[in-house]
Amino acid sequence: MGIKKLTEVIEDHTATSIKTNLLKNYFGRIIAIDASSSLYQFLIAMNSDVSSGLLNPLGETTSHLQGMFYRTIKLISKGIKPVFVFDGSAPVLKSGELAKRKARRKEANEALKEAEEIGTNEEVAKFQKRVISVTKKQNEECIKLLKLMGVPIVQAPCEAEAQCAELVKSGKVWATGSEDMDSLTLGSNVLLRRLFHSESKKLPILEFNLQDVLEGLQLTMPQFIDLCILLGCDYCESIKGIGPKRAFELITKHKTLEEIIKHLDKSKYPIPEFFPYEEVRELFMKPNVTPATEIEDFKWTDPDIEGLNQFLVKEMGFSDSRVALGIEKLKKYKNTAVQTRIDSFFTVIKRPLEEDKDNGKSAKKKVKTGSKGSTLKPTKVTLKKKPAARK
Amino acid sequence: MFEARLLKANLLKKILESISTLVETANFDCSPSGISLQAMDASHVTLINLILRNDGFESYNCDRSLSLGLSLVSLAKILKCAGNDDVLTLKARDEADTVTFVFESPKNDRISDFEIKLLEIKNEQYGIRDSDHTAVIKMPSAELQRICRDLSIIGEIVTISADKQGVKFSVSGDSGSGNITVRPTSDGDAELATSVDVKEPIVLNFALKFLTHFTKATPLSPSVKISMSDGVPVVVEYKIEDLGYLSFFLAPKLSDE
Repeated sequence: MGIKKLTEVIEDHTATSIKTNLLKNYFGRIIAIDASSSLYQFLIAMNSDVSSGLLNPLGETTSHLQGMFYRTIKLISKGIKPVFVFDGSAPVLKSGELAKRKARRKEANEALKEAEEIGTNEEVAKFQKRVISVTKKQNEECIKLLKLMGVPIVQAPCEAEAQCAELVKSGKVWATGSEDMDSLTLGSNVLLRRLFHSESKKLPILEFNLQDVLEGLQLTMPQFIDLCILLGCDYCESIKGIGPKRAFELITKHKTLEEIIKHLDKSKYPIPEFFPYEEVRELFMKPNVTPATEIEDFKWTDPDIEGLNQFLVKEMGFSDSRVALGIEKLKKYKNTAVQTRIDSFFTVIKRPLEEDKDNGKSAKKKVKTGSKGSTLKPTKVTLKKKPAARK
Repeated sequence: MFEARLLKANLLKKILESISTLVETANFDCSPSGISLQAMDASHVTLINLILRNDGFESYNCDRSLSLGLSLVSLAKILKCAGNDDVLTLKARDEADTVTFVFESPKNDRISDFEIKLLEIKNEQYGIRDSDHTAVIKMPSAELQRICRDLSIIGEIVTISADKQGVKFSVSGDSGSGNITVRPTSDGDAELATSVDVKEPIVLNFALKFLTHFTKATPLSPSVKISMSDGVPVVVEYKIEDLGYLSFFLAPKLSDE
């Protein structure tokens, strides 16, 4: 899942490039959402107890539809325009990782059976989470639901995150919404995490800005990709013994993976057998995507009320009053005037960075924003008895 | 070295009171021609543009441009320590990490100085063009404040429609609807007159909440100028006597395609 410990590296070296913001402040933005990663989240979040999970009359789980329906409405009611991107086939290089995941799942399945017999409830729940996978049928059901809701979807030829990144790069959407950090490696300029976290947790949205991250880490994009491969990605194994700290040091010192491997003490850090880093690099730089120019402009249409009722209430056993409420919301926000963003009316005349260069001042001296508490300090208050003769 | 001396510390206090509820931090860009500030609120619906010309200060000394990033909340608190008639001096060294505010009482028997740490704020500068507006309305600032206050009881979105006869502010909400129409005045003193200069009739929708925020600047000026054109942000401008102006841009609410 994503890049190992990339968040940690970013937090350690350039914490200011991670912004926190409230969901409502993203109104008017078009956001490409990695549907597969969100589906997985819904299934985990609402399936913690399978026996009493959300089921339809046929006994199939409906957590994914619940999540998709209500959370999408939440986004829309905040004025956000979501576009869902679905995975196509996985790239060949990922097969190793996928096989590993499958094996892990199988293992967990066995452990689950054992836990159900002798273990505690906690253990059962723990293993239940590990056996979850998103089936093809669940994917298709979600596509059907989103179409009925009038939300645009994009079918990626390969990985959804790569397609999201392509959409961001072309400016068709503003950001990628995903929990996987690969989105940055793939070139999404803006990545939003925690879009679907429930509001009760009161967690703000995390906004990663690729340019800020690169500036903060003082890396170029190719170096950043190499760093990600070194940290460990889905496509190849990583070098044992190299954690986030070492990886960052190495890339800063040697600049490329080739150089790192040349200088690395092979006896201490053996290069794994399967380490096709050149191909992986290619995969990050030129992933298999549908070019944004071939994708039609996104349209958010009115929800198909009858279709939604038929599908959710009759087939999936949702409560009809709650579905009606959801549809009501969808319609309401579809028809209200949309608040426009002020920044869309003005052009940027200079970026702050250039300005810093112009003045040649060191910004390091200053207190970073985001540090808590006001930083005021009265130096002195002088009381004079007589008015001083000052101009 | 930057140093500016303002006879009325009170003015800056009023400015801060009107903008610190919209933005938390902002850069004060100081250049030889004066001090300017541009900031957007967190949701990026409004843009604040403040211009203080150098000739409005009693003395103004700035040999090289610098920007002072400040927490407006802290600054507002510090300015509360200034007496109403105090004289304010702003000082910052080149490459400084703090800025000093000195308040002197009119009789010069009490001097206080406060040092505030500067913040590093990433802020983009936006180019603001002086465009020709379809409708320009001038009215007493207290009147606009009252309209916003009265209408916000009813709903959240205000529709402003202007034609040659006058300006109508309308709101509708769950409990009902309301309209307030303002007509141009022909008599009375110029400062408190209402004038409506409309090339063609115009109707725009705005979030009332933000307009209400803007009217916190009412103490700065007896009159306010509202400029509107179709499909672009409204500009609400308060002149600051002999010093410059404070204007607010508010993005309109548009119906979908």
